This record gives sequence, structure tokens and C-alpha cells, in this order.
Amino acid sequence: MTRSWWKSPLALVLTAAMLFPVYWMVNVSFTRRASIRKSQLLPFDFTTEHYQVVLSQQLPYLGTSMVVGLGTVLLTLVIAAPAAYGLAKLPVPGGRVLSFALIVGQMIPAVVMSLGFYAIYNRIGMLDTIPGLILADSTIAVPFAVMLFTAFMRGIPNELIEAATLDGATHWRTFTSVVLPISRNSAITVALFAFLWAWSDFLFASTLDREGGSMRPVTMGIYNYIGAQNQEWGPMMATAVVASVPTALLLILAQKYVAAGVTAGAVKD
Amino acid sequence: MTVTRPEAALSQATPGRTEARPPEAERPRRSRSPRWAAVAFVAPLVVYLLVFYAYPLVQNVAMSLQRYDRGSFVNGGAPFVGLDIYREVIGQPKFWRIVGQTGTFTLISITVQYVVGLALAVFFQHSFRLSATLRAMFLVPWLLPVIVSGTTWQWMMNPDNGALNSLLGVFGVDPVWWLNADHALMSVIIANIWLGIPFNLVILYSGLQNIPTTLYEAAAIDGAGPWRRFWSITVPLLRPVSLITLLLGLVYTLKVVDIIWIMTMGTGTSQTLATWSYAMAFGKGTSSLIKYSEASAVGSVLLVVALAFGLVYVAVQRKQED
Amino acid sequence: MGTMSPRSAAGIGMVVAAGFVLAACSGGSTPEPGSTGAASEGTTTSAITFWDPYPQREAGSDWDKLVASCAPAGSTLTRSSAPQTDLFNQLTTAVKEGNAPDVVLLDNPMMPEAASSGLLATAEQAGIDTTGIDANLIGPGVVDGVAYGVPMGSNALGLYYNKDVLTAAGVDPTSIKDWASLNAAIEKVVATGAKGITFSGIAGEEGVFQFEPWFWGAGADLSDVGSAAAISAGQLVSDWIGKGWAPRSAATDNQSASWDLFLTGEYGFAENGSWFASAAADNKTFAAGMIAIPAKDSAVAPVPTGGEFAVAPLQSKDASNHYANAAAVIACLTGDAHGNATSEALGYLSAKAGVRATQVADNPLWTPWVDIVQGAQGRTTDLGADYVNASAALSEAIQGALNAAGDSSGVESAFKDASGS
Repeated sequence: MTRSWWKSPLALVLTAAMLFPVYWMVNVSFTRRASIRKSQLLPFDFTTEHYQVVLSQQLPYLGTSMVVGLGTVLLTLVIAAPAAYGLAKLPVPGGRVLSFALIVGQMIPAVVMSLGFYAIYNRIGMLDTIPGLILADSTIAVPFAVMLFTAFMRGIPNELIEAATLDGATHWRTFTSVVLPISRNSAITVALFAFLWAWSDFLFASTLDREGGSMRPVTMGIYNYIGAQNQEWGPMMATAVVASVPTALLLILAQKYVAAGVTAGAVKD
Repeated sequence: MTVTRPEAALSQATPGRTEARPPEAERPRRSRSPRWAAVAFVAPLVVYLLVFYAYPLVQNVAMSLQRYDRGSFVNGGAPFVGLDIYREVIGQPKFWRIVGQTGTFTLISITVQYVVGLALAVFFQHSFRLSATLRAMFLVPWLLPVIVSGTTWQWMMNPDNGALNSLLGVFGVDPVWWLNADHALMSVIIANIWLGIPFNLVILYSGLQNIPTTLYEAAAIDGAGPWRRFWSITVPLLRPVSLITLLLGLVYTLKVVDIIWIMTMGTGTSQTLATWSYAMAFGKGTSSLIKYSEASAVGSVLLVVALAFGLVYVAVQRKQED
Repeated sequence: MGTMSPRSAAGIGMVVAAGFVLAACSGGSTPEPGSTGAASEGTTTSAITFWDPYPQREAGSDWDKLVASCAPAGSTLTRSSAPQTDLFNQLTTAVKEGNAPDVVLLDNPMMPEAASSGLLATAEQAGIDTTGIDANLIGPGVVDGVAYGVPMGSNALGLYYNKDVLTAAGVDPTSIKDWASLNAAIEKVVATGAKGITFSGIAGEEGVFQFEPWFWGAGADLSDVGSAAAISAGQLVSDWIGKGWAPRSAATDNQSASWDLFLTGEYGFAENGSWFASAAADNKTFAAGMIAIPAKDSAVAPVPTGGEFAVAPLQSKDASNHYANAAAVIACLTGDAHGNATSEALGYLSAKAGVRATQVADNPLWTPWVDIVQGAQGRTTDLGADYVNASAALSEAIQGALNAAGDSSGVESAFKDASGS
């Protein structure tokens, strides 16, 4: 700890460099329209009007995005974690085919996926519903989640699982009480990306939830500022800022929680 | 000590197994049926894949074998033309140019993303003041709608008064016309690398957390320096995670559309197979004519490329297991 | 990777077979849109869906209220929006799946493709009144002699200028009568340290739309993108980039971005649309004016007609009722009683000469635009559904010309390559 005093300042510099485009966006979000293309380093033509517009219009969309994101995380974890355990540690017949199917699955163009969903949802009346959107969004994350979980779970020492098995635990019990706790890190990683993908999805939302009114995610809400020939970049950038603050806090809290959880797990009894 | 260690996890699991020992009767059935258990674990996934992916996959291939336009897409009656569409797509003079650009885009993007992501992951491996917070901040680019971050990059790369040229000017570099036909590829690669670093950082960091610290401590006692420890512990133990990161990175980079589209609409050298397919599927870009079949054919080409790398992945993985 | 085990092969086979079954099922039950049904045989229903390309006109805006007020008695109208190309694609999918809305506002150059792809009911079928519309404005909606909808009004392109910048440079905008005098004016502006002109040269229809006044003003024809006249128009805009008169970002700027550049007050001129007319009049940082875009040798170049058509998508079930809904809503929005309100809510000029005269009398903002709109040409009127190919070629040529930054051999080869000659 004492020898790495230089790390914090360096990390600050690196983070600042990484977030410079984000700063630029914040900068624009506080600039009056007449000056947004002047490319000034600070918002000299300062205004908060974009935020007033956004706060009065975008909050319902943000709520929907949050629900859709968390729903997607849940669904993804429930489907992917057991499957990955099976693929990584159990003799799954045709497991290799399944692995290829996952790679292929990720390469199917999203357009084709969305057309398929539209046709199905139109028949069963699931267009413009939040569960429908969660289901569709999960298809972005599930193949990724299975592949990532599998890669991580392969690294779990077999002795651990054998020990549990010898003690008479069922496969399910071994999975829930031994494998899942060790996989917390990868579960958080998966959850993170599932959330972020659902959060940023536009294609499924615009195809499957276009008439959802205020029950549409924020990626659709932002389209309120895009006209046929006129885009309002100030409110769009402000929306991006407003949308990213709660999620950034969520991320930081999640990181802290994981760090704490891992520490607790490492304490010997 | 903030690291999961298998030993620690094992010891955590110990109390559980003493208090919740299942009745003896369950044992024979379980040991008899690992295969059935395996099937049960993956069954939800298989059903999920069949329900949601099989139809679009077949649909995609089917569309590339018939000649669709907007009318026959709606009303049916698209003629079956076999592999004609593939021949036409591959026969276009620009096809190989676009393949080359796709290769450059993908290769440079994933290499730089991976190297930078790994360097950052190692940097953040042992916690220090603010490390968790700053690491989380690296994810912020992913929270922004790409339409916003892409536009921001477009503005920063404005050839006349953009921030990037101002910065270069400080170092005496002449202004660059970033988004013109010749430099478009370089510009979108830079923005895409920026977008991809968080992904690599998070996964690789997570992989590093699973490497037992005791190994590093033992190596340090043996007198191994940080560089030596990196090459003899981090690199080999991280290999499975590195492999999956690179494979996923490849798959995602191959299909990148949004950031390129928002910055250049795939004009000039920034056209890739994915943006080309997107433009034809939606009737966007220079031509507003919708070309479902050609778009599907290009999509299938991408699919085959991804599959080929999937084979490489499985081969490497198997070699490691042996 | 050894050889594939029989089990694996069987697995793949199963996946593929299952996919085909799924595909077959859904293929079979897709309802086929028909050409039967007529508004006169149907009655309006309680729920009406309405799609437009104006996401920026949010709930509670003048436009939103106007549309809602046009629901017939006993009906509730649900309006939703998406950008133009997305809207067209969503319409395609919706018609295919038998889930089309009652009314859609479609961008005018999309009309021939929409009609010939079988997405639209004819105006007659849907009970849409097309009488009294200026011939040049209804043109894009008439495909093979059949009308498919009615224009919601018209917008057009003009040449905005910054009065303060022009005064400082000693330029009189009324002296601009052709390209030579325009270039002379820009040169004077740039000599004072200001910037010259902003326009949108973005890839796709939007950039083509902005280029067409110069293209037609040079005497070029869409059936020959590689002509000498076409190249001279390309050279004009390319020179602006090369001389630093126009921003190099023009190749990626859309019309909104180009307007934002003009709003900085740094530019003398801006080619942009009548939809910004009221924003220009209200602008506080500098005084803005507008003149017609000059042709090569005359003061007014033909500009492309802009604006959307109100159409009724083809329906597969309860078609007559859907068309009755469309007839009622469209008649309300475009009829003489509401025509003026519609035009003002959209910022368009009415497509009917009579209504337009009232509109101009009420709001003198539109006075300079009347001649431009009356002289405008429909983009698709001559070529019909083939326009998309001409537009694609022209878009390639524009991109090449802008990248050539004034280099005349580069401009020439850009147009020759794009036209395939």
C-alpha cells in the first residue's frame, strides 16, 4: 500500500483521459444551442434550460429503462448460470454443438432477430409490453453470459465440486452452495453487461415497444429531440448526463458491494 | 486481502456440508445420473436458444437464398435464386475492399482494446485509494447512448475546430481531416477502441481476481520481480479468460455498426461488412433502396467468419486442456 | 477439432429442423394484405392509430393537440413517431404482419417505393381528397397515374444569410443573382475574417436533397448524374470546401448540424429549409434573412419539394373501417377548414394555393417562400421508383466531390464513377 502512493494520481489522470468525451458531452449539455458548435472547452454560453426540459420529460423513460435493465439481468442470470455450470463441469451431451450455437447466436443480425420477435409478439399480443422487451433484450446478453460463465467456471478446481459431491450434495446443491458463491465475480460482470446492453438497446425498443408511450426506455425518449430535419443536441446530451448519473452510482455501489462480499467470503471461520 | 481464493471458498462451504447432509437414499440416484443432471442444467438454455434463435437464423439464411425487395418482403413471392445473391455480393469490386477494412477495423480494435484493458486491469489488480470508484468510472462510456457518444466523437474530430485537433496542435501536429474518406477508418477505430476498453477491463479484472494472491506472494518471496511475476503467473493463469475476452471482442467488433454509423455513416474507408449489411437491411446510407437478401448474405458471411474463429477457440482450448 | 461425433451432427440437425418448423408455421399464418375495402363501405372505429415522423413534437405540442382533435366523435387517436427511414421500415413490417396503423405520414420521396411495394391503399380507396393541390406538390404521390395520398403541406430550401456579417462585408444580398455573384459575395465575407457558407453534404437522401438546387440550377438531369452540368455543380460545392469557405464537416453534417453552425454567427450564408424560418426570425444573437438559392445563370434555382404525404396503409382485416378512419382524420388535417392550422403547426406552407394565400396574409414570414415552393420540383416525379438509384449515385458523387476539396479531376471522377460512365 505504502509503495503504491503514485497509483491514485495516475489512476485519476487515466480516468480523466478516458472520460474526456464524457466531459465534452457535459460541456455541451450546459451550452446554449447557438454555441454548441463553437467547440469551446468550457460552457461559456451557459444555460440550464436543457436540464429543465429533460427533467420535465425524461424521468418516466428512465424508470422504464431501469426496470427493463434489472429484469434483463435477472432473466440472463437465471438462464445462463446453470447452463454454464453444466457446460463447464458436467458431461453435457452435444456440449460442443451448444458452444457453437452460442457463437452463431451472437452473430445473427439484430434486424433479423427483431423481425422474428415482432412477428411472434404481434400474434401473442406482447408488442409494447415491458416483459416482451426484457425477453428480447436478454437475447443480447444470454450467449455472452453463458460463454463468460463457462470460461470462469472451468477454472473452479474439480476437487471443490468432488468434495461437495462426496459429501452427498445433489448437483443442484453443489451448484447453489459451492459454485455460485465462488462465481460471484463473474456473475457481477455478467449482470453489469446485461444491464448495460439492455440500457443502451435501441433496435428492439424501436421495433417492439414503439407505441409504449411513457413505458418506453430512455433510448426512445431521447428521440423526442430528433426531428426530421432538426436535432436538439443540448437536451440529448443533458438526457445522457441525467441518465448516466444514477446508473454510475449503481455501478460504484455494486463494485463496493462486490468488494465487501468477496472480503466477507475470504474470512475464515 | 480482498481476493477470492478457492481455499477460502472451500472452507466457507465446509459448514454447509456438515449440517445439510442429504439422506443416504439420494446418493445412488445422483451418482448414476450425471448425464441427466447435465441435461437438466442446460435444458432451459437449449429451449431458449431454439425458441429465440433458430427461427431468425433460418430466416436469415432463407432470405439470402431468395431475391427479396420491399414488395415481396411484404406480399411474398420472392423467387428462389440459390447462391446467386452470394455470387453478386462477393463479385462486387468493393467486396474485398470492405473485407480488408473490416479486418483492419477488427484486428486493430481488439488488439489495442485487449492490451490497454489488460494493462489497466493489472494496474487496478491490487486496490488502492479510490481504485474501486475510478474503476467503476471507466464504465461510464457504456452508460451513454451511442448516438450521444458517437456525436461527441464526431464533434471532437471536427477538422476545423475540433478538440482533438486543438490537442494535437499543442504538440505541433497539423490539423487532421479526421472523418474524410481516407481517414474515416482510423477515426472510427479510435472511437471504437475507447468504447471497447471498459469491456476488456471489466472481464480481465474479474479474471485477475480469481488468481490466488498466495501465488504472487510465494513468487515475491522467491525473488521474482513484478515483470517476471506478470509473465509467469498472470499471463498463463489468465489465459482462459483472455481467450474468451478476445473471442467475444472479435464477435462484437465484427458486428459493430452504431458508432461507425453515427460518425461517418460508413462512408469512405469506414465501411465494414456490418455497416454495409445494416445499410442494405434498413435502406439507410447513400442508397435508400432496401436490399434484404444482400444484407442477409453479408450477414451470413460474417456468421461464417465468427464460426471459423469459434473453431480456432475450441481448438486452442482443447490443446490447453490436454 | 477432431471429426464431429454422430451425436453432434444429430444435435445440429435437430436445431435446424426445429427452426424450419418455426419458420414454416409463421410463414403460413402471415395474413396477406389485400386490395379490397373502401372507406365508403366502412365506419370509423373506437381506436385509431396514427404514425408520423415528428418525434420532436412531443405530447402536448400544438401538433399533438391538433392530431388528437381530428379523431372522429367516439374515437380515440393514438399518435406515435419515429424518424423517417425507421418509420418506413416499421410500416413495412407492420403491413406484412397485418398490424398497420390507420394513418401514416410518409416522406415524399418514399412514396413511389411504398406504393409500388404494395404498402398503400389508393387515395380513392381510402377516401382521401386530392383536389386543389398544386401539381408539383402532389406529383411525388402519384405513381403510374394513381394518387396514393395527399401532401401535408410543403417545405423548401432557401439561402439564409447573417445580416450582420453581410453588412460588415459590404455585401448586398439582393445582388446575388447567379453562382458568380454568390461566389463573389462569399469571397467578400471570408475576406472580413468571417466564414462563408454552411450546407449539409451528409451521405444519403438528406445530402442529395440539399445538393439538388445546385444540381438542377446547373441544368443537370437526374437521369444523367455524370453530365458536365452535374459536374459543374459538384465543382461549386467542392471549391467551397477547398477554399475554406465551407466547413469540411459538411460531408458529415446533416441539416440540423449545418444549422447549428450557422447559429454560431460565424457564417455569412446557410443553405437550409423553411422549417427553420420561424427560428431564424426569432434568432436573438444576430439578424437573419433569406433569399432564393441562385441557379448557375439565374436568380432562382428549382428546389426539391419537401414534406410528408398523409397515406392510408393497405390493410388485411377490417380494411374498410381502417380506411374510414384514415379518410376522417386526413380530411380533418388537410381540409380547407384546418389546412392553415396544420401548416402552422408543422411550419410548412400549405399545398393548396388558396389556403397558402390566407396563410401568407396572416403570417408575412412566409412571403419570400411562396415563389420558391411554387417553382419547386418533385424529386421522384420524373423517375418514379428509380429515383432511389439516381439518388444513391448522386450521394456517392457528392461525397467524392466534397472529399476532393476543389480538385477538379477528383470531382469529375467522383461523378463519372458514381454514374457508372
